Amino acid sequence: MKITQHASADTLSLLLDGELDASSSVLLDGELTKPETLQYQKVLINCQKLNYISSAGLGVFISHLQQFQDAGVKLVFFNMQEKVHNVFEILGLDTLMTIVPSESEATAI
Amino acid sequence: MPFRQRLKAITLPLTIISWVLLLLSSLSRTNGQAAEWLGGSWPEWVTLVSQAAFAAFAFIYQRGRPDPLHGNDFAGLLRRLVLGPGLLATVCIGLHLTERFVQAELPTNDETFYAVIYTINLALFVVFLAYTNYSWRSLVLFRASPKLRQQWVWFEVLLGFTLLFRLLNWVPPHPFDYFIVGGLGIFGVYLSGNQQWVAYLNRRQKWEAVLLQVAILLAMTVFVVYFLRIRFDPKLVAPAPQHAFLLLNAFFGAFYSSMGLLVTIFNLPTASVFEQKREEILSMQRLTQLIQKGQTEEEVYAMLFDSAVQTMDADAAWLTLETEEGTTTIQEYRVSPEQINSILQLLQEYKLQHIEYLNNDLAGSSGFRSLELPYGSLVMMPLRSAKRRFGSLYMLKEQRYGFDRENLSILQTFASQTVLSIENLQLVHISMENQRVQEELKIASAVQDSLIPKNLPIDSWFDISSYAASAKEVGGDFYDFLHLPGRQLAILIGDVSGKGVTAAFHVAQMKGIFHALMQENYLARSEREKFPVPSRFMTQANTALARCLEKAAFITASLYIIDYENGGFVFARAGHCHTLYYHSIKEEVSYFQTTGLGLGIIRNETYEKHIKNQFYDYNPGDVMVIYTDGIVEARNALQEEYGEQRLLYMLEQTFSMEADEIKEQILADLAEFSTGQPMHDDQTLLVVKFKSAQPDGLN
Repeated sequence: MKITQHASADTLSLLLDGELDASSSVLLDGELTKPETLQYQKVLINCQKLNYISSAGLGVFISHLQQFQDAGVKLVFFNMQEKVHNVFEILGLDTLMTIVPSESEATAI
Repeated sequence: MPFRQRLKAITLPLTIISWVLLLLSSLSRTNGQAAEWLGGSWPEWVTLVSQAAFAAFAFIYQRGRPDPLHGNDFAGLLRRLVLGPGLLATVCIGLHLTERFVQAELPTNDETFYAVIYTINLALFVVFLAYTNYSWRSLVLFRASPKLRQQWVWFEVLLGFTLLFRLLNWVPPHPFDYFIVGGLGIFGVYLSGNQQWVAYLNRRQKWEAVLLQVAILLAMTVFVVYFLRIRFDPKLVAPAPQHAFLLLNAFFGAFYSSMGLLVTIFNLPTASVFEQKREEILSMQRLTQLIQKGQTEEEVYAMLFDSAVQTMDADAAWLTLETEEGTTTIQEYRVSPEQINSILQLLQEYKLQHIEYLNNDLAGSSGFRSLELPYGSLVMMPLRSAKRRFGSLYMLKEQRYGFDRENLSILQTFASQTVLSIENLQLVHISMENQRVQEELKIASAVQDSLIPKNLPIDSWFDISSYAASAKEVGGDFYDFLHLPGRQLAILIGDVSGKGVTAAFHVAQMKGIFHALMQENYLARSEREKFPVPSRFMTQANTALARCLEKAAFITASLYIIDYENGGFVFARAGHCHTLYYHSIKEEVSYFQTTGLGLGIIRNETYEKHIKNQFYDYNPGDVMVIYTDGIVEARNALQEEYGEQRLLYMLEQTFSMEADEIKEQILADLAEFSTGQPMHDDQTLLVVKFKSAQPDGLN
């Protein structure tokens, strides 16, 4: 798993590349736990290269969900592959999290 | 050997008897009163035989006594030699002087007193020689080879033969006796070369040994001078003693002593070096012993530091450790933090901080001169293994050229020994930790195993088959059944995120919640409210779990309540895998598309909005396949997932079979799909096949 960061004035973009499993989710958790993350208005997660997400990976997003909501930070996923989207959907996360097809839609939110 | 023991027991009495016989025979040859009592002069051979017998028994007795050398206590042996036989010499002088004094005061011609003194002194001399030479035996044979032991026995036997010379009154042909005596003397000289024991003395003991050897030589001189003096005394009535035997023994005793003295004296200048080596070996031993005791790393470092400072005789020293956080000084000896910092900075500038470094002329290098340190030599020894660096040991000496190559190699040995022990300690810790984890997993596995129902519900209305496999030790899959009154069956299946002990713990919790919430509510107003409907169950479970589930953990679950009296079921899916279903009426296989959020994701009352019930009236022949994501996410060699579609296809092929067969077919297909791939996740599969109604009486 490789996590590439890109930050603009009010938006933090994370590009997830590879498989988000138990070990790599520790990396992601480290990124999202940073205090400055809550300073942004939006955190965009580019899932184009995310091939697989384990329950540990889902747990990382779930654990930060409430915190982001409280701080008014919008968490938006985009470019999600079908099978990864399926995982979000089965767990019911698609009703809680904002998942949009493309980057333009993600930035428009 | 009883004979030897008996011989040992009688040697002392025989020694005394032969001496008394010698005394009496000597007295019989005097001109005094005693001779008259004894019936006149006894034949000479009695005196000679008793003399020889006394010497032989005295030596044999001494030979059989316990080894005078206790362990490596050489100085103790010499001390006892001076105190015991040395005292004999004093007695000898005392007796001689007394005799002279009496002679001078009471001039008499009587030979009795003189003969008594002479016989006593002879006895003392023999005992002295026996004691001394058997002490030397212990030293000669100290760590000796079997060959040398054999040579010593020959030496003893040959010396014993010389006793016979005088006894048989055999005088060897003129050059021959020189040859025999000279030959044995050379044998003695050869044996005197075995002075290895001197090397085991420290400086103080060596000085002590020199003094004691001088004392022993003095005692020997006293005896020899006495016997030489009285050899031609006209009053001497006894025949001359065993010349060859006593002469050779006295010669060997004196020669060994002098050799020992010389060797010890020549060894004195090197004693300090030997002691230093000894100290190094001892430090090394201490260091090694500490490791075996399994002490902490701090103790090993402290031990290294103390040993190194002591062995190198350093004037100042310190030890730094390198960790991920940086370098810290953990041991200091007569050095200030400022001095440490200045030297470290300088070494860093020279880029020398990572290699073995020896500077024996600090004043000669400008960098160190500018630091104005009161030291002349510096040595730096890194502690490192092939994999990593642990730290560095720094030692300073005031004089220039304080450290030599020798010191450096000792330090290297210390360092490698320390690194070895530290690595050992770390390995021990890791293996202990592993063992602990393994134990934990075993327990968790046993707990989880006990949580899986061993008996499947049996009824004529349906047919259930189950399969559960854990990836690695412990996973988070679970399922359970509960018969409810009114011909209902509750089936719970789920998956806890995470693995290991915590997962097993949450499984147990979930099972507890299941059994607690599925209790009949007696206050319920209608039949339908007696048990919580699945959505209500999930909401309550979510509330219960909210308090104890860690932040990133969640649980997916599906609860089915089958009412086979009315031929229907209701279920709720909390984020769990979709239910695969074969509708016999429509002859169609499909997934129930219901929404529902996993447990523990939203931890407040709004969860209720995210979970729905699904009602369905089943028909005989319908098949329900319930599973966990380990089934559909199983991978093949191309890292493709098994997937819902393939599972659906499998049911299309097998719906007409019995539940057990359907399960076996699916598992066989799954196994074929994922051949050679490790199991990533737990796999659980339940197949429920509804049957046509049976007569009531069968239940």
